Amino acid sequence: MKILIVDDFSTMRRIIKNLLRDLGFNNTAEADDGKTALPMLKTGEFQFLVTDWNMPGMQGIDLLKAVRAEDNIKTLPVLMVTAEQKREQIVAAAEAGVNGYIVKPFTAATLKEKIDKIFQRIEGNA
Amino acid sequence: MAVETVINAQVLATAERLVVEMRSGNEDQAARALDDLVRAREVSLFQELGKLTREFHDALASFRVDSRVTDLAEKDIPDARERLNHVITMTQNAADRTMSAVEHSLPLVEDIANVAVNLRSQWQRFQKREMNAQEFRELAKSIDVFLGTTETKSADLKSKLNDVLMAQDFQDLTGQIIKRVITLVEDVEANLVNLIKISSQKVVPVNTHPEYRESIKAEGPVVPGVVTNGAVAGQDAVDDLLSSLGF
Repeated sequence: MKILIVDDFSTMRRIIKNLLRDLGFNNTAEADDGKTALPMLKTGEFQFLVTDWNMPGMQGIDLLKAVRAEDNIKTLPVLMVTAEQKREQIVAAAEAGVNGYIVKPFTAATLKEKIDKIFQRIEGNA
Repeated sequence: MAVETVINAQVLATAERLVVEMRSGNEDQAARALDDLVRAREVSLFQELGKLTREFHDALASFRVDSRVTDLAEKDIPDARERLNHVITMTQNAADRTMSAVEHSLPLVEDIANVAVNLRSQWQRFQKREMNAQEFRELAKSIDVFLGTTETKSADLKSKLNDVLMAQDFQDLTGQIIKRVITLVEDVEANLVNLIKISSQKVVPVNTHPEYRESIKAEGPVVPGVVTNGAVAGQDAVDDLLSSLGF
Protein backbone atom coordinates (compact mmCIF):
# COMPACT_ATOMS: atom_id res chain seq x y z
CA MET A 1 0.00 0.00 0.00
CA LYS A 2 1.30 3.44 -0.95
CA ILE A 3 0.52 6.35 1.38
CA LEU A 4 0.78 10.07 0.65
CA ILE A 5 1.69 12.32 3.58
CA VAL A 6 0.73 15.98 3.14
CA ASP A 7 1.98 18.60 5.61
CA ASP A 8 3.74 21.94 5.12
CA PHE A 9 6.23 21.15 7.91
CA SER A 10 8.87 18.62 6.88
CA THR A 11 9.37 17.69 10.55
CA MET A 12 5.78 16.51 10.86
CA ARG A 13 5.98 14.65 7.53
CA ARG A 14 9.09 12.89 8.78
CA ILE A 15 7.47 11.96 12.11
CA ILE A 16 4.40 10.54 10.38
CA LYS A 17 6.60 8.72 7.86
CA ASN A 18 8.60 7.09 10.69
CA LEU A 19 5.46 6.16 12.63
CA LEU A 20 3.90 4.64 9.51
CA ARG A 21 7.08 2.65 8.85
CA ASP A 22 6.88 1.33 12.40
CA LEU A 23 3.32 0.20 11.65
CA GLY A 24 4.61 -1.67 8.60
CA PHE A 25 3.81 0.92 5.93
CA ASN A 26 7.13 1.36 4.14
CA ASN A 27 5.86 2.82 0.90
CA THR A 28 5.20 6.51 1.46
CA ALA A 29 5.57 9.75 -0.44
CA GLU A 30 5.35 13.37 0.71
CA ALA A 31 3.80 16.64 -0.45
CA ASP A 32 3.90 20.04 1.24
CA ASP A 33 0.39 21.25 0.45
CA GLY A 34 -2.85 20.35 -1.31
CA LYS A 35 -1.78 21.90 -4.59
CA THR A 36 1.25 19.61 -4.86
CA ALA A 37 -0.64 16.63 -3.47
CA LEU A 38 -3.66 16.64 -5.78
CA PRO A 39 -1.83 15.88 -9.07
CA MET A 40 0.09 13.11 -7.28
CA LEU A 41 -3.16 11.61 -5.98
CA LYS A 42 -4.84 11.87 -9.40
CA THR A 43 -2.30 9.40 -10.81
CA GLY A 44 -4.15 6.80 -8.73
CA GLU A 45 -0.98 5.29 -7.26
CA PHE A 46 -1.93 6.02 -3.64
CA GLN A 47 -4.26 3.93 -1.53
CA PHE A 48 -4.24 6.15 1.56
CA LEU A 49 -3.93 9.87 2.31
CA VAL A 50 -2.73 11.49 5.53
CA THR A 51 -3.15 15.26 5.42
CA ASP A 52 -2.74 18.33 7.61
CA TRP A 53 -5.44 21.04 7.52
CA ASN A 54 -3.61 24.37 7.82
CA MET A 55 -1.24 24.70 4.84
CA PRO A 56 -0.37 27.51 2.43
CA GLY A 57 -1.63 27.07 -1.11
CA MET A 58 -4.38 24.48 -0.89
CA GLN A 59 -5.58 23.59 2.60
CA GLY A 60 -6.30 20.06 3.77
CA ILE A 61 -10.07 20.51 3.88
CA ASP A 62 -10.04 21.70 0.24
CA LEU A 63 -7.79 18.81 -0.74
CA LEU A 64 -10.30 16.44 0.89
CA LYS A 65 -13.16 18.04 -1.05
CA ALA A 66 -11.13 17.91 -4.29
CA VAL A 67 -10.39 14.21 -3.74
CA ARG A 68 -14.07 13.44 -3.11
CA ALA A 69 -14.98 15.35 -6.30
CA GLU A 70 -12.52 13.38 -8.47
CA ASP A 71 -14.06 10.20 -9.89
CA ASN A 72 -11.02 7.90 -9.84
CA ILE A 73 -9.95 8.75 -6.30
CA LYS A 74 -13.19 9.70 -4.57
CA THR A 75 -13.18 6.61 -2.32
CA LEU A 76 -9.58 7.15 -1.17
CA PRO A 77 -9.38 6.86 2.64
CA VAL A 78 -8.36 10.22 4.10
CA LEU A 79 -6.96 10.70 7.58
CA MET A 80 -6.78 14.30 8.79
CA VAL A 81 -3.90 14.99 11.21
CA THR A 82 -4.15 18.60 12.35
CA ALA A 83 -3.92 21.16 15.15
CA GLU A 84 -7.35 22.49 14.14
CA GLN A 85 -9.85 21.35 16.73
CA LYS A 86 -12.89 23.55 16.56
CA ARG A 87 -16.23 21.80 16.65
CA GLU A 88 -17.31 23.42 13.34
CA GLN A 89 -14.09 22.32 11.66
CA ILE A 90 -14.47 18.70 12.74
CA VAL A 91 -18.10 18.70 11.61
CA ALA A 92 -17.06 20.28 8.28
CA ALA A 93 -14.38 17.62 7.78
CA ALA A 94 -16.89 14.88 8.60
CA GLU A 95 -19.37 16.36 6.12
CA ALA A 96 -16.65 16.55 3.45
CA GLY A 97 -16.13 12.81 3.94
CA VAL A 98 -13.04 12.46 6.11
CA ASN A 99 -12.35 8.90 7.34
CA GLY A 100 -10.45 9.78 10.50
CA TYR A 101 -9.48 12.89 12.45
CA ILE A 102 -6.43 13.17 14.70
CA VAL A 103 -5.52 16.33 16.62
CA LYS A 104 -1.90 17.32 17.11
CA PRO A 105 0.04 16.62 19.22
CA PHE A 106 -0.74 12.94 18.85
CA THR A 107 0.81 9.63 19.85
CA ALA A 108 1.91 6.62 17.82
CA ALA A 109 -0.88 4.64 19.51
CA THR A 110 -3.54 7.12 18.32
CA LEU A 111 -2.25 6.95 14.76
CA LYS A 112 -2.32 3.14 14.82
CA GLU A 113 -5.80 3.08 16.36
CA LYS A 114 -7.29 5.43 13.75
CA ILE A 115 -5.66 3.69 10.80
CA ASP A 116 -6.82 0.29 12.09
CA LYS A 117 -10.33 1.64 12.53
CA ILE A 118 -10.41 3.07 9.00
CA PHE A 119 -9.34 -0.26 7.48
CA GLN A 120 -11.77 -2.23 9.66
CA ARG A 121 -14.61 -0.04 8.42
CA ILE A 122 -13.49 -0.32 4.79
CA GLU A 123 -13.27 -4.10 5.07
CA GLY A 124 -16.63 -4.17 6.85
CA ASN A 125 -18.23 -2.27 3.99
CA ALA A 126 -16.58 -4.32 1.28
CA MET B 1 -13.24 83.12 23.54
CA ALA B 2 -15.16 84.15 26.66
CA VAL B 3 -11.93 85.26 28.33
CA GLU B 4 -10.98 87.33 25.27
CA THR B 5 -14.39 89.02 25.25
CA VAL B 6 -14.03 89.96 28.90
CA ILE B 7 -10.50 91.29 28.27
CA ASN B 8 -11.65 93.29 25.24
CA ALA B 9 -14.51 94.82 27.25
CA GLN B 10 -12.07 95.78 30.02
CA VAL B 11 -9.66 97.35 27.51
CA LEU B 12 -12.51 99.27 25.87
CA ALA B 13 -13.71 100.56 29.29
CA THR B 14 -10.17 101.65 30.21
CA ALA B 15 -9.72 103.38 26.83
CA GLU B 16 -12.99 105.27 27.30
CA ARG B 17 -11.88 106.23 30.84
CA LEU B 18 -8.58 107.50 29.35
CA VAL B 19 -10.42 109.71 26.84
CA VAL B 20 -12.78 111.07 29.53
CA GLU B 21 -9.92 111.83 31.97
CA MET B 22 -7.80 113.53 29.25
CA ARG B 23 -10.73 115.69 28.12
CA SER B 24 -11.35 116.63 31.76
CA GLY B 25 -7.65 117.53 32.14
CA ASN B 26 -7.09 114.99 34.96
CA GLU B 27 -3.53 114.13 34.05
CA ASP B 28 -2.92 111.73 36.99
CA GLN B 29 -6.08 109.78 36.28
CA ALA B 30 -5.29 109.73 32.56
CA ALA B 31 -1.75 108.42 33.23
CA ARG B 32 -3.19 105.64 35.45
CA ALA B 33 -5.69 104.67 32.75
CA LEU B 34 -2.84 104.52 30.22
CA ASP B 35 -0.83 102.26 32.59
CA ASP B 36 -3.89 99.98 32.95
CA LEU B 37 -4.15 99.75 29.16
CA VAL B 38 -0.52 98.75 28.80
CA ARG B 39 -0.89 96.13 31.58
CA ALA B 40 -4.00 94.66 29.92
CA ARG B 41 -2.05 94.38 26.66
CA GLU B 42 0.77 92.56 28.51
CA VAL B 43 -1.68 90.12 30.15
CA SER B 44 -3.23 89.10 26.82
CA LEU B 45 0.26 88.80 25.31
CA PHE B 46 1.33 86.45 28.12
CA GLN B 47 -1.85 84.45 27.72
CA GLU B 48 -1.22 84.09 24.01
CA LEU B 49 2.39 83.12 24.66
CA GLY B 50 1.20 80.52 27.22
CA LYS B 51 -1.21 79.05 24.68
CA LEU B 52 1.49 78.87 22.03
CA THR B 53 3.91 77.21 24.49
CA ARG B 54 1.31 74.58 25.38
CA GLU B 55 0.56 73.86 21.71
CA PHE B 56 4.27 73.61 21.00
CA HIS B 57 4.71 71.20 23.91
CA ASP B 58 1.80 69.01 22.76
CA ALA B 59 3.11 68.96 19.21
CA LEU B 60 6.55 67.95 20.45
CA ALA B 61 5.09 65.22 22.65
CA SER B 62 2.98 63.78 19.85
CA PHE B 63 5.94 63.99 17.50
CA ARG B 64 7.96 61.92 19.95
CA VAL B 65 5.25 59.26 19.99
CA ASP B 66 4.93 59.45 16.21
CA SER B 67 8.62 58.87 15.69
CA ARG B 68 8.51 55.85 18.05
CA VAL B 69 5.58 54.44 16.06
CA THR B 70 7.53 55.04 12.84
CA ASP B 71 10.50 53.23 14.36
CA LEU B 72 8.28 50.34 15.34
CA ALA B 73 6.78 50.07 11.88
CA GLU B 74 9.99 50.56 9.91
CA LYS B 75 12.51 48.80 12.06
CA ASP B 76 11.24 46.84 15.03
CA ILE B 77 8.39 44.93 13.39
CA PRO B 78 10.47 43.68 10.40
CA ASP B 79 13.19 42.91 12.92
CA ALA B 80 10.72 40.83 14.97
CA ARG B 81 9.62 39.04 11.79
CA GLU B 82 13.24 38.12 11.12
CA ARG B 83 13.67 36.93 14.69
CA LEU B 84 10.58 34.76 14.53
CA ASN B 85 11.69 33.32 11.19
CA HIS B 86 14.96 32.52 12.86
CA VAL B 87 13.04 30.70 15.60
CA ILE B 88 11.33 28.57 12.93
CA THR B 89 14.72 27.81 11.36
CA MET B 90 16.26 26.87 14.70
CA THR B 91 13.41 24.61 15.77
CA GLN B 92 13.41 23.01 12.31
CA ASN B 93 17.17 22.36 12.51
CA ALA B 94 16.82 20.90 16.00
CA ALA B 95 14.00 18.63 14.88
CA ASP B 96 16.02 17.52 11.84
CA ARG B 97 19.13 16.81 13.92
CA THR B 98 17.09 14.86 16.46
CA MET B 99 15.23 12.85 13.86
CA SER B 100 18.38 12.09 11.89
CA ALA B 101 20.00 10.78 15.06
CA VAL B 102 16.96 8.67 15.88
CA GLU B 103 16.65 7.34 12.33
CA HIS B 104 20.34 6.40 12.46
CA SER B 105 19.99 4.79 15.92
CA LEU B 106 16.87 2.69 15.41
CA PRO B 107 18.48 0.19 12.97
CA LEU B 108 21.50 -0.11 15.32
CA VAL B 109 19.24 -1.14 18.19
CA GLU B 110 17.21 -3.41 15.93
CA ASP B 111 20.41 -5.15 14.70
CA ILE B 112 21.69 -5.69 18.25
CA ALA B 113 18.29 -7.00 19.36
CA ASN B 114 17.94 -9.36 16.35
CA VAL B 115 21.40 -10.89 16.77
CA ALA B 116 20.85 -11.19 20.55
CA VAL B 117 17.59 -13.09 20.02
CA ASN B 118 19.32 -15.44 17.60
CA LEU B 119 22.32 -16.00 19.89
CA ARG B 120 20.10 -16.57 22.90
CA SER B 121 18.19 -19.38 21.19
CA GLN B 122 21.51 -21.00 20.20
CA TRP B 123 22.84 -20.52 23.72
CA GLN B 124 19.78 -22.28 25.11
CA ARG B 125 20.44 -25.20 22.76
CA PHE B 126 24.00 -25.34 24.10
CA GLN B 127 22.76 -25.33 27.70
CA LYS B 128 20.40 -28.18 26.93
CA ARG B 129 23.39 -30.01 25.42
CA GLU B 130 21.74 -30.12 22.01
CA MET B 131 24.80 -28.68 20.27
CA ASN B 132 27.72 -30.55 18.70
CA ALA B 133 31.31 -29.35 18.85
CA GLN B 134 31.29 -27.81 15.37
CA GLU B 135 28.10 -25.87 16.10
CA PHE B 136 29.56 -24.69 19.40
CA ARG B 137 32.68 -23.41 17.66
CA GLU B 138 30.47 -21.43 15.28
CA LEU B 139 28.43 -20.11 18.23
CA ALA B 140 31.61 -19.00 20.02
CA LYS B 141 32.71 -17.20 16.86
CA SER B 142 29.28 -15.54 16.49
CA ILE B 143 29.39 -14.40 20.12
CA ASP B 144 32.84 -12.91 19.53
CA VAL B 145 31.60 -11.03 16.44
CA PHE B 146 28.48 -9.91 18.34
CA LEU B 147 30.49 -8.53 21.26
CA GLY B 148 32.70 -6.63 18.83
CA THR B 149 29.82 -5.09 16.85
CA THR B 150 27.88 -4.34 20.04
CA GLU B 151 30.85 -2.36 21.28
CA THR B 152 31.09 -0.40 18.02
CA LYS B 153 27.34 0.12 17.72
CA SER B 154 27.02 1.20 21.38
CA ALA B 155 29.67 3.86 20.82
CA ASP B 156 27.80 4.99 17.69
CA LEU B 157 24.53 5.01 19.64
CA LYS B 158 26.08 7.01 22.46
CA SER B 159 27.28 9.67 20.04
CA LYS B 160 23.81 9.88 18.43
CA LEU B 161 22.16 10.23 21.86
CA ASN B 162 24.58 13.07 22.55
CA ASP B 163 23.47 14.65 19.27
CA VAL B 164 19.86 14.48 20.46
CA LEU B 165 20.86 16.08 23.74
CA MET B 166 22.79 18.88 22.06
CA ALA B 167 20.00 19.54 19.57
CA GLN B 168 17.84 20.75 22.47
CA ASP B 169 19.93 23.91 22.87
CA PHE B 170 17.41 25.70 20.65
CA GLN B 171 15.01 25.98 23.61
CA ASP B 172 17.20 28.50 25.42
CA LEU B 173 17.88 30.60 22.31
CA THR B 174 14.37 30.60 20.89
CA GLY B 175 13.01 31.35 24.37
CA GLN B 176 15.14 34.48 24.57
CA ILE B 177 14.13 35.63 21.10
CA ILE B 178 10.44 35.06 21.76
CA LYS B 179 10.67 36.98 25.04
CA ARG B 180 12.15 39.95 23.16
CA VAL B 181 9.33 39.83 20.64
CA ILE B 182 6.79 39.75 23.50
CA THR B 183 8.42 42.92 24.88
CA LEU B 184 8.12 44.52 21.46
CA VAL B 185 4.44 43.60 21.24
CA GLU B 186 3.88 45.24 24.63
CA ASP B 187 5.69 48.33 23.38
CA VAL B 188 3.50 48.46 20.28
CA GLU B 189 0.43 48.09 22.46
CA ALA B 190 1.48 50.97 24.74
CA ASN B 191 2.18 53.21 21.74
CA LEU B 192 -1.13 52.41 20.12
CA VAL B 193 -2.90 53.33 23.36
CA ASN B 194 -0.94 56.64 23.45
CA LEU B 195 -1.79 57.34 19.84
CA ILE B 196 -5.47 56.84 20.54
CA LYS B 197 -5.25 59.14 23.57
CA ILE B 198 -3.53 61.89 21.54
CA SER B 199 -5.90 61.71 18.64
CA SER B 200 -8.61 61.61 21.36
CA GLN B 201 -11.07 60.38 18.83
CA LYS B 202 -13.61 57.77 19.57
CA VAL B 203 -12.25 54.50 18.25
CA VAL B 204 -14.75 52.85 15.97
CA PRO B 205 -14.21 49.09 15.67
CA VAL B 206 -13.79 47.98 12.07
CA ASN B 207 -15.24 44.69 10.81
CA THR B 208 -15.72 42.99 14.12
CA HIS B 209 -18.97 41.36 13.11
CA PRO B 210 -18.43 37.74 14.11
CA GLU B 211 -20.77 36.54 11.39
CA TYR B 212 -18.26 37.70 8.76
CA ARG B 213 -15.68 35.25 10.05
CA GLU B 214 -15.54 31.86 8.49
CA SER B 215 -16.24 29.47 11.32
CA ILE B 216 -13.98 26.77 9.87
CA LYS B 217 -11.04 29.01 8.94
CA ALA B 218 -7.73 27.40 9.93
CA GLU B 219 -6.40 28.99 13.12
CA GLY B 220 -3.42 26.83 14.02
CA PRO B 221 -2.75 25.10 17.33
CA VAL B 222 -4.77 25.92 20.41
CA VAL B 223 -2.45 27.87 22.75
CA PRO B 224 -2.84 27.49 26.54
CA GLY B 225 -4.16 30.75 27.97
CA VAL B 226 -5.58 31.91 24.63
CA VAL B 227 -9.29 31.26 24.35
CA THR B 228 -10.37 29.70 21.05
CA ASN B 229 -14.12 29.74 20.73
CA GLY B 230 -15.62 26.39 19.81
CA ALA B 231 -12.42 24.38 20.28
CA VAL B 232 -12.92 20.87 21.63
CA ALA B 233 -10.61 19.48 24.31
CA GLY B 234 -8.26 16.98 22.67
CA GLN B 235 -8.51 13.68 20.82
CA ASP B 236 -11.13 12.10 23.10
CA ALA B 237 -13.51 15.01 22.55
CA VAL B 238 -12.88 14.78 18.78
CA ASP B 239 -13.69 11.05 18.89
CA ASP B 240 -16.86 11.69 20.90
CA LEU B 241 -17.99 14.37 18.46
CA LEU B 242 -17.30 12.17 15.44
CA SER B 243 -19.06 9.18 16.99
CA SER B 244 -22.07 11.42 17.67
CA LEU B 245 -22.01 12.14 13.94
CA GLY B 246 -22.14 8.41 13.17
CA PHE B 247 -18.39 7.73 12.83
